[in-house]
Amino acid sequence: MPGSRAYLWFIGPALILMFLILLLPIGIAGALSVTDYSLGNTSANFVGAENYERIFTRTTYEKMFGATFRYVFVVVPLTVFLGLGAALLIHSLTRFGDLYKTIYFLPVMAALIAMAIVWEFAFHPTIGIINATLERGCGTWLEAWNWYAAGCERTFPLWLTDRDYAIWTVAFIGVWQGFGFNMVLYLAGLTSIPRSLYDAAGMDGAQSGWDRFRLVTWPMLGPTTVFVVTISFIRSFQVFDTVEAFYPQGGGPSKSVYVMMFAIYEKAIQQNLMGIGAAITVVFLGFVMFLTILQRWLVERRTHYV
Amino acid sequence: MKKLTTAMALALLAGPVLAEDKIVIEFAYPYSHLFDVTYEKILPKFYEAHPNIEVKMRATYESYEDGTNTILREAVAGTLPDVTMQGLNRQAILVEKGIAKSLEPFIAEEADFAKDGYHKAMLDLGTFDGDVHGLPFSISLPVGYYNMETMAKAGYTTENLPTTWEDVIQACVDLKEAGVDNPVFWGWNITGNWFLQALMWSQDKPTVMGTDFTLDEPEGLTALNTMHDIFRGCDMQNLEWKAALASFAAGDVGMMFWSTSAVGAVERSMGDFTLVTNEFPGLTNNGPMGLPAGGNSAMLVSTSEDPAELDAAWKWLKFITSGEGAADVARTTGYMPPNQAANEIILADFYAENPTKATAVRQLPLLREWQAYPGDNGLAATQVIYDALEGIVTGEFDDMEELQQELSEEVQDLLPTGS
Amino acid sequence: MSDLTRSTDRSYAPTDGLVLRFSTREAMKHAVLILGAMVVLLPFYVMVSYSLKAPAEIMQQTGGFLGSQEPFRDDFCIKLGNAVEDCMVNPIVYNYTTAFEKAPLVRYLLNGVIVTVSIFLIQVIVALPCAYALAKLKFWGREAVFGLVLFCLLIPVHAIALPLYIMLAKLGLTNSYAALIIPWTISVFGIFLMRQFFMTVPDDLIDAARMDGMSEYSIVWNVMLPTAIPALMAFGIFSVVAHWNDYFWPRIVITGNRDLFTPPLGLREFKGDADGDNFGPMMATACIIVTPLIVAFLLAQRRFIEGITLSGMK
Repeated sequence: MPGSRAYLWFIGPALILMFLILLLPIGIAGALSVTDYSLGNTSANFVGAENYERIFTRTTYEKMFGATFRYVFVVVPLTVFLGLGAALLIHSLTRFGDLYKTIYFLPVMAALIAMAIVWEFAFHPTIGIINATLERGCGTWLEAWNWYAAGCERTFPLWLTDRDYAIWTVAFIGVWQGFGFNMVLYLAGLTSIPRSLYDAAGMDGAQSGWDRFRLVTWPMLGPTTVFVVTISFIRSFQVFDTVEAFYPQGGGPSKSVYVMMFAIYEKAIQQNLMGIGAAITVVFLGFVMFLTILQRWLVERRTHYV
Repeated sequence: MKKLTTAMALALLAGPVLAEDKIVIEFAYPYSHLFDVTYEKILPKFYEAHPNIEVKMRATYESYEDGTNTILREAVAGTLPDVTMQGLNRQAILVEKGIAKSLEPFIAEEADFAKDGYHKAMLDLGTFDGDVHGLPFSISLPVGYYNMETMAKAGYTTENLPTTWEDVIQACVDLKEAGVDNPVFWGWNITGNWFLQALMWSQDKPTVMGTDFTLDEPEGLTALNTMHDIFRGCDMQNLEWKAALASFAAGDVGMMFWSTSAVGAVERSMGDFTLVTNEFPGLTNNGPMGLPAGGNSAMLVSTSEDPAELDAAWKWLKFITSGEGAADVARTTGYMPPNQAANEIILADFYAENPTKATAVRQLPLLREWQAYPGDNGLAATQVIYDALEGIVTGEFDDMEELQQELSEEVQDLLPTGS
Repeated sequence: MSDLTRSTDRSYAPTDGLVLRFSTREAMKHAVLILGAMVVLLPFYVMVSYSLKAPAEIMQQTGGFLGSQEPFRDDFCIKLGNAVEDCMVNPIVYNYTTAFEKAPLVRYLLNGVIVTVSIFLIQVIVALPCAYALAKLKFWGREAVFGLVLFCLLIPVHAIALPLYIMLAKLGLTNSYAALIIPWTISVFGIFLMRQFFMTVPDDLIDAARMDGMSEYSIVWNVMLPTAIPALMAFGIFSVVAHWNDYFWPRIVITGNRDLFTPPLGLREFKGDADGDNFGPMMATACIIVTPLIVAFLLAQRRFIEGITLSGMK
């Protein structure tokens, strides 16, 4: 076979770069995670599993896991569902589909650092566009809703700085930013479903739109869904930009938005505590790996389309 | 702004060519939006006085935290600038890690250093282990901002503005009765503990003594209780600073307790009302006994061995912290110059014309150190305090005695064990 | 072409209804989509609006979309010792000229182009052969290499930033284009995506090329590359969007020379934190940064979705 060793040249550069740029730093992080190294110090002490112990015992880190999981388990289903919904709607349109596509893809393209500032203003408790709009509804039938009446009485929620709302507000922005990405992936999946399948389903008696969706569209989108869910999981576990932009110090009211990536950044970069930062990194990787494998396993057991 | 860009471009292009006759020093500072204009005013004056020195401006730091982290990274990389501006409470880390150099040898060479207007309280801010390491460049103190139209609704005029925290809480009650929903914003969130230190210094009590966190003493409880009373008594919203400044500018909030450095920003963005700044209230009628200084300080971090380069760096450092150089700080920002001579002689007229900026100057005798928490965990300790104070605002903590105990234990645990 | 395919598409589209109810259904769909579009566009509306307004109007949230456009006093100009009359500026003019002058935005945009294009090209050069080998060549350890790729997909950049910085620093590469580019030369996402795409390319094509005596190298660059163009475009948009907007990494490695700033770092020139940000020019900068991407997306849109369709993601 000609060039039977060509693969070495093909995967070689990628492997070398992967090792140097990704695996070596992870290895360094692993090594640092059992020390108390602080940037600028000349030496570090070996502290064993102390950093890990802290992660699993201190309440701060309990909050970290809580915030991360809340975020992930809100953002992943919603971005997938909304992405699919938008794709189905747009795909079935006769016109203006391109326009909606572009609009929904806009948040994916915008620099999050700038958008965060804008959202901050929009969510301002008294003069922000959101609460100002809500206030207009005061004195109308909407006041029958207790929550609304309470808002009219004092003020509507401090979306970003109230510990009961903050994580959900940040998750909302995550959904806003992410679902356009999934929509594009689903649109691609939809265009590749052969028309003959719908004909066949029609002949078998699938008349309603729901039947066609259940029998043809959804199963055919199986592989797309696997990909979309995997990517969404990875992306939402890595949420950082919005949290850092909104809460550069502290990770939100009462640490309610203290997600793992921010914890790593806070410890390793803001506070120069490389040891504990590296330990969170290792725990983070373990978690994401576990979840990815679990999710793949679940999906592969359930559908036969992968 | 053109000039600065051109100067920078020239420095870059001509730097290597002129290297033989010109000494190039590198300089980095935070907050370009605030300080660009200051350096733009200072540079021409400096070049006139020292034509053989070229100051190369580095990328600005985004914040004080960014400044410190950048220096730490650059120290590892070996790409430090010659002079850096650091937040006053961030100096200690760089001194502890041996990155910032002592300025004593240079001061010893100066014939009349004291005459240049550096007085003790200011120098103390940058003194570690008896050696001066940083010269303060811009200084801020906490002050009270009042929207006089809103205050008037509850019958307050410039004559009877609150002087104690009890008065402030009373004013909140009065304002609420007059229909003001959000009477106050109290800047607890400025870098996590500045206002806590303000309440401690108000009782003339340092927050850190050696490696001892003093919050467990009676003064600590008073400080926490005062905060709790203000937040609860005024029903204060937990606003992020940007939202707070916007609320105040929109006339939504009647009283704001914040750093004097924001005077410029508030004046630029506020609505049609009369802004008055007044002394920071105290715990008793005599006002605070001391207040922590905020702002930044110039440090020498050059790794150069060349005496000529070090001397040039010192010249720049001295120029921006004294005389006309320092006076430009007040002219261009809400900060005060750290320099007595500049404040009293050069700027006398300026303060008469800008009464909102004069409040902090009246408070200068109260100036105290903005203390850092020693050891590698210093910044983590700041964060613990921040979280606790936030808990008071959000209502998570209500029992101040319990909080005092928990907080002091947790912070003490992060500090090095006392020798 | 689209009109033709679309009209035939219609009768097969999954959520389509009876012909009689067609127009109401269509209208309802538009209603839902427009509502969604309003939520999505809200921050963009605010962003554009702020880039047109004066600071006082932004902070007090007055003046509607356009603001009153009355001249306001530019403090910066006054502080430099100019008379007040000379310092009255129109908000739109002020915001946009400040964005371009104070932060040399043209330079930053140029840097952005240099960095994103270099990153993308190198990523393709590294990822394409690797993806081909993983998809079409049989060799010992292939599964292990692919497993490694999947593992690397999980590594977040923020977690490895400091070790990477120190490594670059030891090589003396901080504050250079190299520092902005090198860490991104390997894109495991790219390898993954291209591999999925190559899996769908029929083996016959490659066998035929081998019969013609083509070396494996020329198969990669002369046969696989042209067929992969749509998938590459899809990957290109992901890559360019990510690196054009990246704020985290450039601010870690670019600490010396402002001339190396990428566009998002231009935003920091207007930050003043607790002492007041300069929102007008900041939002103007944000508008300018996002515009090239929108234009590029509009131009590439159709082929972009085609590209994803053809790659294995479907």
